[in-house]
Amino acid sequence: MSENQEAEILDVRGEICPYPMIRTNKELDERDPAPLTLAVLTDHPPALSTIPPEAMKRGYGCEIEEIASGEWRIQLFK
Amino acid sequence: MTFNSNNLSISRPNYQFWVIVVALGIASLCALLSLFAEASVAVFWLVGLAFGVTVQRSRFCFTSAFRDFFLLGQVRVLKGILAGLAVSTIGFVVIMSMSSPNPAFGSPPSDANILPVGLSTLIAGTLFGIGMVLAGGCVSGSLYRMGEGYVASWVAIFGVITGLFFLNQTWNWWWHNLISRETPVWLPAEFTYTGALLITTIGLLAILYVSVWKERKVSAGFTMPQIKQLTSDSQPTNSISEIFSYVRRAFSKEWNPITGGIILGLLNILLFIRFHPLGVVGEISRWSTSLSNSLGIPTPHLEGMDLLGACAPILAEGASWFTEGFFLNTGIVAGAFCSAMFAREFKLRIPKSPIRYVQSMVGGIVMGYGAGLGLGCTLGAFFSAIPSLALNGWVYAVGLTIGAYISVQWLKKFS
Repeated sequence: MSENQEAEILDVRGEICPYPMIRTNKELDERDPAPLTLAVLTDHPPALSTIPPEAMKRGYGCEIEEIASGEWRIQLFK
Repeated sequence: MTFNSNNLSISRPNYQFWVIVVALGIASLCALLSLFAEASVAVFWLVGLAFGVTVQRSRFCFTSAFRDFFLLGQVRVLKGILAGLAVSTIGFVVIMSMSSPNPAFGSPPSDANILPVGLSTLIAGTLFGIGMVLAGGCVSGSLYRMGEGYVASWVAIFGVITGLFFLNQTWNWWWHNLISRETPVWLPAEFTYTGALLITTIGLLAILYVSVWKERKVSAGFTMPQIKQLTSDSQPTNSISEIFSYVRRAFSKEWNPITGGIILGLLNILLFIRFHPLGVVGEISRWSTSLSNSLGIPTPHLEGMDLLGACAPILAEGASWFTEGFFLNTGIVAGAFCSAMFAREFKLRIPKSPIRYVQSMVGGIVMGYGAGLGLGCTLGAFFSAIPSLALNGWVYAVGLTIGAYISVQWLKKFS
């Protein structure tokens, strides 16, 4: 993984719905310029069905990967 | 923070070991309960466990059903709730028609969740709706998330206990000014069972129509990405491991919320056949009064409460702590814990931002106050009340919707 991508991480572990999704949307909407890639780390399974559709509405592609017991990485990319 | 996807050698909990330990633990606790306490307590414990496993696996969240309709246009869980309501309505009608064959005469079934309906119901539902969205889970939702390791949900339940304390201190005001003037409306008494069933069916179908319409409008054309799992389960090598693989399969993927809703509906029927419908708030209210009494703040005499059903707190002085409700509630926590362990999803989830604890606590207090006023949460005053063919269930649902809407607008604006 490149240095550049390592910086593009949003860690919302520990957070409960709807906050992981709200923080991700905020990151995608309010940063200027909008990030090209963003890896969202979450340990809240319901966020796996709320973050991707919201990001896809904003034109991002999405991959979900389990990274540890009860932890996932949602990789968003333009 | 750095992140390295190559460095992921995580030790998985030994699956079969846990299955055996938990199964033996549950079985021996049930045996103990039925030996030393009333046997009914073991039934509540088992229903609690089944409830906890079901909601954990299907990610069943009443809060998300109300919230995500407004926030995201998602109706996944809402459809599950509708399925559960449909199933339990049929079962409840069968049960109630046996105890009250002539609904127009005599009193409605005393164990069903039929409550005075009016402005107090609407206020209670609205407060509950505001609180649950803020806290990130309703009362039963926070109970099962306690078992999954969410620290925020422990805070939320403490908030609920606090909210119920404030409600109990102010209950008599509500009773004199509002609730004592309201009467229960039991649909079969007005429209016969057939009419009540028809009204309920039309109501549920109307919500289904609106939710499918919303879903098609907002999220048509999206396909959810597949989740790449860390390890694929190995093929069974002998008969024993094959049998365990059946269990493992149930815990390796999340269940459809509609499946979850139907199971919850069946559990509700199961409990109502012999006892009373599902509800968790009456018991938490008892925790609240016990706690405040032990802190030297007595609970005033709650006027009219003995006339009310559903989740009205039972305040038997000096009674055992280990009531049916206690085992239902702790069963939910334990069931969700076991389920999360089996699914390898258990984790202590500690929010980093201090504001989350405040949100959970305040949300819990507002939700607890609403649950006390409405004599139930999303379970007792909604999921068990609509199948009881009681008008209060629908009015509470309207309140939940208004509250969720208000809270979503705040969240959109301020976070």
